[in-house]
Amino acid sequence: MMRRGLAALFWAVMLTAAAAAAQLQVTPLPRDGRVLVSFKLANAFTDEIRAAVHSGLTISFVYRIDLKRSSALWLDSTIATTEITATVRYDNLTRVYHVTRTQDGRIERAETTEREEDARTWLTSDFDKLPLFSSASLEANSEYYVRVRAHTTPRNASFVWPWERHDVTGQTKFTFVP
Amino acid sequence: MTTVRDARRPTLPARPPRALPPPERRPFRDNPRLILLGIILLFGALAAMIVLADQSTELSPDFLSEVVLYALSAADLTMVLALVFVLARNVVKLLVERRRGLPFSRFRAKLVLAMLGLTIIPSVLVLLVGGELIRSSTERWFSQPIDDVLRSANEIAVDYYRDRETVVANHAERIARVVPAAAVEAGDFDAVRSALAPEVTQGRVGLVEVYRIHEGSAPTPLVAVESPSLPLGHPRSSASADRLAARVASGSTDRRVHEPLDGGGELVRAGALMRDPATNRPVGVVIASDHLAGEFAEHSRRITEAYEQYRQLRVLKRPLEGVYLSLFLMMTLMILVGATWMGLYLAKRITRPVQMLAAGAREIGAGRLDHRIEPETRDEFGSLVEAFNTMAGELAGSQRKLERSRLDLERKNQQLDERRRYIETVLERIATGVISLGADGRVGTINAAALRLLELDGAVVGARAEDVFAREDLRPLEALLKRIHPSTADPAAQEIALTREGRELHLATAATPLQGEDGGFAGAVLVFDDVTPLIRTQRVAAWRDVARRLAHEIKNPLTPIQLSAERMRRHFGGAPAAARALVEECTTTIVGEVESLKNLVDEFAQFARMPAPRAVPSDLNGVLADTLALYKDLFHEVRIERQFAEGLPAIRVDVEQIRRVVINLVDNAVEALGGGAAAARPSGDPPTIVVGTRADAANGVVRLTVSDNGPGISAADRDKLFMPYYSTKRRGSGLGLAIVRRIIAEHGGSIEVTDNVPTGTVFTVELPM
Repeated sequence: MMRRGLAALFWAVMLTAAAAAAQLQVTPLPRDGRVLVSFKLANAFTDEIRAAVHSGLTISFVYRIDLKRSSALWLDSTIATTEITATVRYDNLTRVYHVTRTQDGRIERAETTEREEDARTWLTSDFDKLPLFSSASLEANSEYYVRVRAHTTPRNASFVWPWERHDVTGQTKFTFVP
Repeated sequence: MTTVRDARRPTLPARPPRALPPPERRPFRDNPRLILLGIILLFGALAAMIVLADQSTELSPDFLSEVVLYALSAADLTMVLALVFVLARNVVKLLVERRRGLPFSRFRAKLVLAMLGLTIIPSVLVLLVGGELIRSSTERWFSQPIDDVLRSANEIAVDYYRDRETVVANHAERIARVVPAAAVEAGDFDAVRSALAPEVTQGRVGLVEVYRIHEGSAPTPLVAVESPSLPLGHPRSSASADRLAARVASGSTDRRVHEPLDGGGELVRAGALMRDPATNRPVGVVIASDHLAGEFAEHSRRITEAYEQYRQLRVLKRPLEGVYLSLFLMMTLMILVGATWMGLYLAKRITRPVQMLAAGAREIGAGRLDHRIEPETRDEFGSLVEAFNTMAGELAGSQRKLERSRLDLERKNQQLDERRRYIETVLERIATGVISLGADGRVGTINAAALRLLELDGAVVGARAEDVFAREDLRPLEALLKRIHPSTADPAAQEIALTREGRELHLATAATPLQGEDGGFAGAVLVFDDVTPLIRTQRVAAWRDVARRLAHEIKNPLTPIQLSAERMRRHFGGAPAAARALVEECTTTIVGEVESLKNLVDEFAQFARMPAPRAVPSDLNGVLADTLALYKDLFHEVRIERQFAEGLPAIRVDVEQIRRVVINLVDNAVEALGGGAAAARPSGDPPTIVVGTRADAANGVVRLTVSDNGPGISAADRDKLFMPYYSTKRRGSGLGLAIVRRIIAEHGGSIEVTDNVPTGTVFTVELPM
């Protein structure tokens, strides 16, 4: 029993360490009345995720992108929010990755590839200058930041405390200059 | 806590009707319907958990990890909190009960701890063992041989698919080179069909489709050649072929596609780009398709699905294990909560009636006999409660009877007390002396008259009678007591004479023995009356009778004696001088003595025939002034002073009789002072007589006092002064003061004599106003 407990503790530490190792690079760019957002999730395609993908499960990388404004006295205000979901399903018979990307529920892209690298790129890195937000409501020369939180589903939740979150978060400030 | 409950139960004694409290809401533990509903819900939850555990592998992974596991964990956490709450609440209650020293708190604490121990320890052990079993069972899902078999089978299926794709792709490439590009570009169906026909007829592929590429638009189907071996109903120029043609035309390297058929099986499609040999410009797309038999494709897909499920099971091992453990934990917690609640309920069920009985006994002991306990069960405890209520009812009835008896007794005691006080008041007020003696010969009670007559004080109560009556003058009483016989109720009576301050006191005494209810001696009552006035009256009456007889018997011969003496004087008037002188002297003496005897007899007659007073309202001071005026200048050595009260009210008196009283008292005073030629008193004071009056409105009398400063009267003579024929004077008849006393008595007054200060005597007459 003690050994099982130690094993569970070990895996919990390892998962936490893996989540901590993942990094999310965010680059906002206001241009032409839009806020273009580029982000890249590094070190997230772990062996555990890879095994889950190759098991044929439908694995989703869920990115919640918030355009926020800092507040010194109160909680930061959220100006706009959007959610991008990149889903992959691997067909073990044909060895093809079916990748789908949706934004707020709308299918934006559907791809198939036999290359794992391509699938990984589409899932974690191929988010370049996405015109996610309008800059019409932003004040000139004010500082804002874009925060991206990413997690995968289904979660590999534990029995003892399933509410444990392994979200990866990244954010970058920018000054809006029209 | 006094509770009045359920007075309608038939076994309880009848009680006066009273307002029943509103019916209490039955708690959950006493409501069989709710208990049954709870049990049904519990079993429903257990069944749902069993179904959920059975279907857990079929659930969507997202649903499993995002919903089911969360919900189960939340439910487990809630139940743990509920269990902790229930345990903490009951532990706190037990501690509070023990601290308050409630009855059976220790017993209940032990019972609860034993039941909790019997519940929690096995449950925790089962939880630990079951959790380990679940973990080991999930580990056994995966083994290397199964892993190898499934992987190898999947590899076989994948390799076969891959080979077929390669073959079809090679055919597509080759056909793209064989079909003349100019015919495709020109849209020459026949030329293209003739070029394709050998490929199909020779069985290399099942279906060949050629698309023509137009500049700036999607490829359009040109011609398709199909083998008869293809199953009927497959979609010709299907959308998948169109998309594949477009993808190939766009230069994509992804040029393969599998298209499931409705009748089973799949079409393996591969595309190839046709180029103009001269310009290398794409002019068309060749899509070659080959049919995979339905059974084979199905088997391959099953192999892959089995492999994927196995891999998914490994991936989802933690959530699944968590679900199973959560379900098992939930079952354990449900059993634990249920068993704990049941244990607490049973402990309460056992101790509560006993506590209620103890509390009820305390209430009954405190006198609240209307306290009742509501029977909560029909078992032996219920019977015990019924018996307690019956006992309480009987106690209440007995107490009501006792209360009535007590009130009757109090009323009778009050009556007796009133009667006793009345008798005591009568005894205190009556002139008859009463002494009660106990069986032990001690004085029980003695009234004021007895104390006064015998000159005793209240301290004699409780003293032995022989000690009380040991005094010399009271010895006759002791002798009288000895005469009574305890065995009989016959009283012993005797008249005894006591001497009080030189005065003789005559008491008519009677001693009556008391008999108890058993007839035994219970004491005695000694009663004595002061019969001195009666005896005195009897003596006076006797004297009056004697005086009347004497007056009658003596007076009759006096007149002949007097006449005879005067006759002798006249007869010897002519006798010689010596004889005449002798006769004269003798007859004079005889006549004088006869005259004295006449006066004496007249006084006796007057005493005997004292007329009734004719009282009229009179001014006493005036009567006295008129009377004292007779003494003016009569005695030169004796002073007669007047001290009359002013404003004296008129009183009803017989003036002549009162005047006689005053003359008698003043004459006696003059006589006591030595007569009209009295000498000065030894103290140097002149002989003085003071006549005074005073009104005593409080007692309703007017006092007349006649005092002198003479030598006074001895105590022995004082009481005899008013007796007839008693005189301290040499020539007194002894009837003066007797007449005075009679006059005053017939006026309703009294007279008494006391010593004057410093010397002399004071006669005080009290006459009613």
